[in-house]
Amino acid sequence: MKKQGFKLTRRQFLKASAVATALAGAAASPAYFMPASGAQEEKSPQVKFVRSVCSPNCTGACGIKAMVVNGQIKALFPTDDYPEPLYGPRGCLRGLSYTNLIYGPDRLKRPLIRTGPRGSGQFREASWEEALDYVASHLKEIAAKYGPESIGFSFQVGGTGHVQKGAWIALSTLAGWTLFHPYDKNGDLPMFWPQTFGVQTEELEPLEWLNSKYIAVFGSNILVTRLVDSEFLIQARNRGAKFVVFDPNYCVTAAKADEWVQLKPGSDAALALGIARIIIEEKLYDEEFIKTYTDLPLLVRLDTKRRLRAGEVKGLEPPQDLPPYREAFVAYNGNFLVVHPENLGLPRDVMLEGEREVELKDGQKVKVKPIFQLLKEHLKTYTLEYVEKETGVAKEVVERLAREMATTKPLHVIYGASNYQWYHGDLKGRALALLPVLTGNLGRPGAGISTYAGQYRIRFHVKEWWFPKPPRWTPWLYFLHGPTKTMTAPYPQNGFKALIFGWGNPFDQHNMANRLREKAENGDLELIVALDYQMTTSCRYSDVVLPVATWYEKVELVTTPLHPYMQLQQPAIEPLFESRSELWIAREIAKRLDPQFEAHFFPGLEEREAAEKVIELLLKTGGPPVEGITLERLKKGPVRLKSEVPGNRQIPFYEQVNFRKPFPPVSLPASLEATARFVKSGRIEFYREEEGFLSQGEALPVHKPPFEESEYVLNPEAKEKYQFVFLTRNSLYRVHSTHSNNIWMNELQDNRPKIFLNPEDAAQKGIKNGDLIEAYNDRGRVRGWAVLDPGLSRKVVVFEQGWWSQYLKGDSYNSLTYPFIKPTHEIYFVPGIWAPNTAWNETLCDVRKVAEEK
Amino acid sequence: MKLGMVIDLDRCIGCRTCMVVCKSHNAQPPGTWWNRVFTPGSPEHQVPALQKGEPQMYFLPVACQMCENPPCQKVCPVGATYTDDQGRVEVDLERCIGCRYCLAACPYQVRQFNWEDPKKAKGKAGYVEGYEYGYPFPHRDKNGRLVYIPNRPKGVVEKCTFCVQYTDNGEKPICVQACPARARFFGDLDDPHSEINEILRQRQAFRLKEELGTRPKVFYLPPTSPRK
Repeated sequence: MKKQGFKLTRRQFLKASAVATALAGAAASPAYFMPASGAQEEKSPQVKFVRSVCSPNCTGACGIKAMVVNGQIKALFPTDDYPEPLYGPRGCLRGLSYTNLIYGPDRLKRPLIRTGPRGSGQFREASWEEALDYVASHLKEIAAKYGPESIGFSFQVGGTGHVQKGAWIALSTLAGWTLFHPYDKNGDLPMFWPQTFGVQTEELEPLEWLNSKYIAVFGSNILVTRLVDSEFLIQARNRGAKFVVFDPNYCVTAAKADEWVQLKPGSDAALALGIARIIIEEKLYDEEFIKTYTDLPLLVRLDTKRRLRAGEVKGLEPPQDLPPYREAFVAYNGNFLVVHPENLGLPRDVMLEGEREVELKDGQKVKVKPIFQLLKEHLKTYTLEYVEKETGVAKEVVERLAREMATTKPLHVIYGASNYQWYHGDLKGRALALLPVLTGNLGRPGAGISTYAGQYRIRFHVKEWWFPKPPRWTPWLYFLHGPTKTMTAPYPQNGFKALIFGWGNPFDQHNMANRLREKAENGDLELIVALDYQMTTSCRYSDVVLPVATWYEKVELVTTPLHPYMQLQQPAIEPLFESRSELWIAREIAKRLDPQFEAHFFPGLEEREAAEKVIELLLKTGGPPVEGITLERLKKGPVRLKSEVPGNRQIPFYEQVNFRKPFPPVSLPASLEATARFVKSGRIEFYREEEGFLSQGEALPVHKPPFEESEYVLNPEAKEKYQFVFLTRNSLYRVHSTHSNNIWMNELQDNRPKIFLNPEDAAQKGIKNGDLIEAYNDRGRVRGWAVLDPGLSRKVVVFEQGWWSQYLKGDSYNSLTYPFIKPTHEIYFVPGIWAPNTAWNETLCDVRKVAEEK
Repeated sequence: MKLGMVIDLDRCIGCRTCMVVCKSHNAQPPGTWWNRVFTPGSPEHQVPALQKGEPQMYFLPVACQMCENPPCQKVCPVGATYTDDQGRVEVDLERCIGCRYCLAACPYQVRQFNWEDPKKAKGKAGYVEGYEYGYPFPHRDKNGRLVYIPNRPKGVVEKCTFCVQYTDNGEKPICVQACPARARFFGDLDDPHSEINEILRQRQAFRLKEELGTRPKVFYLPPTSPRK
């Protein structure tokens, strides 16, 4: 019809116009229909709309409606069906162009078995039968030879895929493989959370931003990385909240703020401690709050530097029947008081400042001080002069900010990944946590400290599906770095001999110091298996590539820390070519490894039916957060999870602050026993007395300049040789490495990877806008076209991570980074909660112009 | 009825979602963008320019301004560009002869020319066989003039239609539907009670190149400056 129309000559066309009008009516009526809400709704034989959920590792979990015509997704629509309208519309430039990946040139069609060297991309197509047999038989061999724990399974963002990701986690536990936890692997685990609050991480839901009166963003470009929630932030500002961005670089978020405070990279702790000093010296703190909820009134022995135990003191007896993860400490209000770790609250007159002598049971007399006193003394060194020297922020600005932040309530601190993905990132968090805690900004609407990086949050009980047997975990950094003498996490006796990965691209994203590639190239890894829907760099390094369905082709159950809704991925189309859901693949491998394993995966059911059965199981066994939620309800649209807060709002520590429950709240899937021992007092703890902290001078939050315990230890010459900080930030055009091959995203970047640097640095290096340059160090290099950015700090090189190697002439930007392990992160081990954590930004480099290759 | 749009630059975060959904839903071939978002004063998007030594940036989305006095319509020798009864400036794809006078006349540089057969251009991107993206049905106005078709023929001019295929059904243009910052508002400028008239009464608005007398029906609300 349309083709004929164009073949007409003008004269013929005029004649035909009456016909055309008639046709127009016919074409328009079935063509377009938008259902008012909800899921699958078929109104015409041709067009249907299916609501699924976009779920890459931005963790935005945006509902997206696919317009399906004759079995093809023609366009993706945002959703605006959230009960709180501000959560909509959801969907961004990346998610709404996902069709370019579903139907793009890199889409995998059939299982592949490698024929050339690893990394060459040479494969032959294989049947599922052959590929599955190949994988299963090699896995059996490796398990027999080295132990099943030498097989590592790597996945990403568990909470955005409970069913399909859960299937592979379950298979890993059944087969006895080792799991790599994505949260510490990605460097997203902010270690100050377990160190201070005993939790994995917490955050206010964005709806709560509207209740804040002061929003202080430290190192988070939230208007790029969380762009769908920008409306909340801008509305909060327009309603009168002060919105301040602390960042070495002028970013989009800074551009929308009331104030941008430029500080030197890695200096946030110095600034926070300088502010804390003013809050304490000017008595701007909330005395009742810190006496009730924190360890600041607890006494510390000056001889041992340990907290005074109730059991040590003459005349005091600790309470009976305390669980092993609790300990009773001592405070003073004229008498020495036993501080019960399960009952928050102390007499109002409890001492915060001063020094006392206490007689111990053995008759020994020792001097003690409250932690508050120690903190106050410790903060004396953070004078305005020192803070200005370390941070570059003018004295009067520091003073003004301190008073503003202490007196404007509610205060919300957003603590971003560019702040903490450093060797001493935990110290920055501990220092920044002082600001809301000293001022009593916690557990209340619009108040607190939040981290919005990474999908760490498991919101309900998943054991029945995920952990048919106890899981075994090793932090990824040990895989790259090798075991350390001080580690508390398990490490396979024979090392890692096989790597299976899904939902990720580790050969670009986790190839620190090029070590992952080396392990593939030198044969250290005897088997590499990829689950993916596209031919990524990592697939190229794999021996077998198993093609999987996208999130418009399967059934999945999704949650996120970024909003409190549970949602369903629903199939809009059939899986393309021979791709299958991960659940089906796991079941097939399970069957081949041990016929008994198969029983866990709903054998006999078609894969989508099996996935629905899994969802029903999870909803039945998920506990209070999912009470009353059914599969049928989820099919209609997003359902808010239940919480202990009125209106089921997401306000961290609400129960602690309002009902005086001891810290910490539980961090699923870990048990309370596992995490409560981080805060044995049942309180927010700023003082850490473990030997590892004491010996490092980190008993209290302290500022330590970057690189001195990392790069300069590795190579003292680095101090002279490499003076630029190598920052690998998130791009607007990618979600980590997803969308690296999205044609429209690349058009928007002139189809070029770029390296951003300050114009003055560029001038010194003889670099002009658009020159091809490279950032390099002794470990590796990456090339890109120079962009001179006057908003950047001096001596900073910014590269936007996520480019697949093929766009970088084979280089890897993670060849420059290094798998540093901080000893205090090894004191305990709870996977993804207390574990060594990747510090991407702790990297030095230099930059130079290079010749363009023809 | 006179359809118009308001874009709030205070809310706009420069995320370019509007560019991408426009491209996708309107089946634009590689290289063609009906809608673009700039960082004024800076050659690189989302990189600031210096103002009195301080970095500053804001973002400016620009698509067809739907002028009430459209220069493109005036220069069209065959009457292919016309204003419809809802105030939308449209291109009759069957009447356009590809002379490109309108490209030269448009002060906003938002018109695009199909130098290549779009099907071929899309083919080069390597989509899986048989796949075509975008709203898949041709759309004619009530007089039968073809104003949208997924593959516009080689040699015609195209531009933003205010998503005529959606707005004819009472839906909003896709850029308005999808703006994550809710920076875009759409409605009837003839209706004194419409949301956009309400906004235009309350806030100071401006139009691009107002001095040319083109009288765009796309209005902008200025970005707010920091309240130090």
